[in-house]
Amino acid sequence: MESILNILFSGVFHASTLFLVAAGLQVVFGVQKVFNLACGSFYALGAYVGIVVVKSFVAGGFPTPLFIVPLIGAGLLLGFIIGPIVERGLIKFVYGRDETFQLLLTFAIVMMIEDVIKFIWGTSPQTTGGIDLIYGRLNLFGATVPVYNLIVILCSLIIAALIGYILLSTKFGRIIRATAEKKEMGEALGINMKMVYIKVFTLGTVLGTLGGALVIPATAVVSEMGVELIVLAFAVVVIGGLGSMKGAFIGALAVGVLKSIAISTFPELEMLTIYIIVIAVLMIKPQGLFGGGKV
Amino acid sequence: MEKTRREFVKLVGGAALGAGVILAGRGKAKAQTAPPKGVPAEPVKIGVMPGLTGVMGVPGTAAWRATQIWADEVNAAGGILGRKVELHMEEETTAKESVERFKKLTLEKKADVIVGLMSTGNGLAVGPLAEELGQLWLSWDATTQKGVEETMPKTKFAFKSIDNEAEAIGGAILTARFFPKIKTIAGINNDYSYGRDCWDSFQAVLKHFNPNVKAVVDLWPKLGETDFTSHIAALKKAKPDLIMTSFWSGDVPILMKQAAAVGLFKTTKGCFTTGGGVHFTLKKDFTPEGLILGYNSMYFKWTDTWPLLTRFVKIYHDKYKEYPVYECDHAYFVLQAYKAAVEKCYSLLGKWPTMEEIGKALSGIQVPSLSGYRGYREDNIMICNFFMGITTHKNPYDFVTIDPVEVLTPSQIIKPTAGTKLYEWIRGWKA
Amino acid sequence: MMSLKSTKAFILIVIGLLLLGFPLVASQYVSYLMLTFFAYAIMVLGLNLLFGYTGLLSFGHAFFMAVGAYTAAFLTGKFSILCMEVIIVIAVIISSALAALIGLVCVRYIKIYFAMLTLAFGMLFYSFLLKFYYLTGGDEGMRVLQPHLLGFNLSEIPKMQFLTGNYYFYCFFIFVLLVFVMWKIVSSPFGLCLKAIRDNPEKAEYLGINVKRYRWYAFIISGAYAAIGGVLLGSAIGHVDPGLTYWTHSGTLVFMTLLGGFGNFFGPLIGGAVYIFLQDKVMSLTTYWRFIFGAILAFLVIVAPGGIAGVISSLVKKEKSIE
Repeated sequence: MESILNILFSGVFHASTLFLVAAGLQVVFGVQKVFNLACGSFYALGAYVGIVVVKSFVAGGFPTPLFIVPLIGAGLLLGFIIGPIVERGLIKFVYGRDETFQLLLTFAIVMMIEDVIKFIWGTSPQTTGGIDLIYGRLNLFGATVPVYNLIVILCSLIIAALIGYILLSTKFGRIIRATAEKKEMGEALGINMKMVYIKVFTLGTVLGTLGGALVIPATAVVSEMGVELIVLAFAVVVIGGLGSMKGAFIGALAVGVLKSIAISTFPELEMLTIYIIVIAVLMIKPQGLFGGGKV
Repeated sequence: MEKTRREFVKLVGGAALGAGVILAGRGKAKAQTAPPKGVPAEPVKIGVMPGLTGVMGVPGTAAWRATQIWADEVNAAGGILGRKVELHMEEETTAKESVERFKKLTLEKKADVIVGLMSTGNGLAVGPLAEELGQLWLSWDATTQKGVEETMPKTKFAFKSIDNEAEAIGGAILTARFFPKIKTIAGINNDYSYGRDCWDSFQAVLKHFNPNVKAVVDLWPKLGETDFTSHIAALKKAKPDLIMTSFWSGDVPILMKQAAAVGLFKTTKGCFTTGGGVHFTLKKDFTPEGLILGYNSMYFKWTDTWPLLTRFVKIYHDKYKEYPVYECDHAYFVLQAYKAAVEKCYSLLGKWPTMEEIGKALSGIQVPSLSGYRGYREDNIMICNFFMGITTHKNPYDFVTIDPVEVLTPSQIIKPTAGTKLYEWIRGWKA
Repeated sequence: MMSLKSTKAFILIVIGLLLLGFPLVASQYVSYLMLTFFAYAIMVLGLNLLFGYTGLLSFGHAFFMAVGAYTAAFLTGKFSILCMEVIIVIAVIISSALAALIGLVCVRYIKIYFAMLTLAFGMLFYSFLLKFYYLTGGDEGMRVLQPHLLGFNLSEIPKMQFLTGNYYFYCFFIFVLLVFVMWKIVSSPFGLCLKAIRDNPEKAEYLGINVKRYRWYAFIISGAYAAIGGVLLGSAIGHVDPGLTYWTHSGTLVFMTLLGGFGNFFGPLIGGAVYIFLQDKVMSLTTYWRFIFGAILAFLVIVAPGGIAGVISSLVKKEKSIE
């Protein structure tokens, strides 16, 4: 029983990190139809900055258990800064264009961010030390779960709920859902689409940087994170359906838990499982479980 | 007419002489010591190929830094036989690009020697190339023994690095010594040739000492994985007495941290055969004492009585705020060996040697490096001591160190020839 | 009109002669780079058929190139088949078969989904190559032994001389042949149908063109071209490894196509040449070359999506309008 719970918890934790990377991707694609390959890079940036913030916080003599506050703050702030810069500086030029060009532009951004990270932080892996261990661990039905991991899972759930709330119950959300794909219609209705686009892209960026910042105390940054993560995020959105937040949630859960089970039962297959699932889904139901729209 | 011609000749001759004097004087002012007879004046071109991105980034950057430190030291002392050393760096990336860079250094830059490369795949691509082009290549860590024993039995230009399995063999020897009573082991290794070689060798050696040991689970995360929570769950499920891993890059601190989060190593022993490669990231907060930790060919504190090491560690730390790792020693050694081989040839031949002559001098050479004396065997493969030990928190740093420090010698952990079959060799061990 | 055509033909002949005489004047290393250019040029010719002419962006084109390269490795290494012509033919057969299978799945989808699906297949192959190391050598890859050209065993000749001499001319002629073949394809009714499909699929369907089938054909042809490029590249390097099919390598191929100007016949060739030589220069200058290339790509996408060829043709148009 305890090992099953361990496997489940680790799968859910893994799913939370995947969700945070994929959510940003989904939001941007769902509204602006831009497939942002750089979502993994934003995540990596959030992680690196998160480390800097935590280290400064602790060095500054502030109470250590509160480190999570500036961490989340930094993740949010970074996204709010980078999002508009990238959107106004680069993305806005390709809105009318073929989707594939937009994809290529985000590919260019991936390459640039990779070297920016290398330039600022070098190539050594970095961690926040053992700071997440401060919260200790819980013994749930025999399974040992680090409390910090539970916090991450909780935060992902809160974020998912928040996004759901924004999309379904706020005016902003209604505008987004109504004008997705139909920029002209939005403009005809007198909505400032420019602002909408900036806000949506920023939201997507924030989800990435926040995700990176949140997860980093539980792992470490390695220099090619951004490029590796995109493959996983991509798997999640394929399974869940492009553009669907619900899909990101379920897709992340599926990938996370399936991977966890595979590791415990068929460790040799670990690498291949993801691609096989992706291709199977793309062939059977290419829109993914919750995706809609023309393929 | 006669007179003016003679005067003209005198004029020209005088001018030439004067110019010659001035030029010679200028030349003298530049070089502290004029190169000895038979030695060209231009600098020695050393091609360097470090891997600077991805998982290779940590050791690659360290080795590149060590190369630069060596070059500065040697140039400050007058260079090799009076010739300054000039570094030409081309990054090691993929096999295709590494082959291109290598050709560029050989054909365009006309490098006198090329050092570097850490990936076995790249080594396998470049090894035959070095032989074909007649280009002297001193590998840091790209083993080429696999699959080419038949095609490259004794190379003239490609000088290879140590077998992949040495660390795992050392780890198993120490496991048998420090943890003789274990009954079950688990392995978590990267899913590629190095990971597989290490796991296989570890088991083979351990079983030689402890025939009843059983492997209960083996996990194969890909190189570059950043989340091991599921793996740790699987390890906990299997309940092994000892967990062995050959991780050597960014994954070591992650595994250690996530294991600490669930207290994995409170109930299980651990053997990190190559974790010393990122030793300064293994902070005390999450790295317990009592684990076997391997540092490959260099432990930054193996002794206080070897000035080369002490001086190097200080320079490296002052400049980069980090502590050096084993790749620094490999990088330092190949350059030391090159310099010594050139000097040896010169003393015999009276002129700067060709690459083939240097190659001959390198065979069997022994030189002082950061980790003591080390050298090349007669079959042009590196040999050196390996440093491993038990982790401890009793030190002034924020990361773990080892105590006791065990020194494993080549006869213990390196196969006597490239062609020896590992399992036959182990069977032949007396103890 | 006549003068323009003959000007173009003249330029082509001059370039062809320059390429032919290249090894005589250029250094060995640069001639070696030209070898990689021939291989990549053939690959991007294939990609351009798919991307430029049919409107399908593949992020897995490197997959077929790797198939070709690994075929060469297997045939020369494991089966001792050294005849280059045989190797090329077998590589084309295998990759066309795979392209036919995979294409059946992929061409049902367009745009992003097509890109994603091709990316997935490329990465699946990557994992497969890594995983089944007993067969493929895993991360260490496999050697490609020197093949016999036109039946001649040329292993006596020193390697670099072979590469920049006999092999160079061999690749050059294959390159010219394939360019010619592609030109014919693109100018044929088939090629026109592809362009119609790219510009307006519904209208093309309405006009009676079987859109899916034609996309499938384009996919197969592009796969075959990529495989030939892979054989040539693998033989030049002497080694193959899984990195050849990683998704960023497919990205590079797309970059080259875009750089030169997709949709334009010669665009990708220009793009390939510029990319290879630019990368060589920039990589030697700085370790931050990825940033520079990323910036170039961004610039291309935003400002000059027609690539170099697009810029040239707009300049030519300007000149003409001035006259």
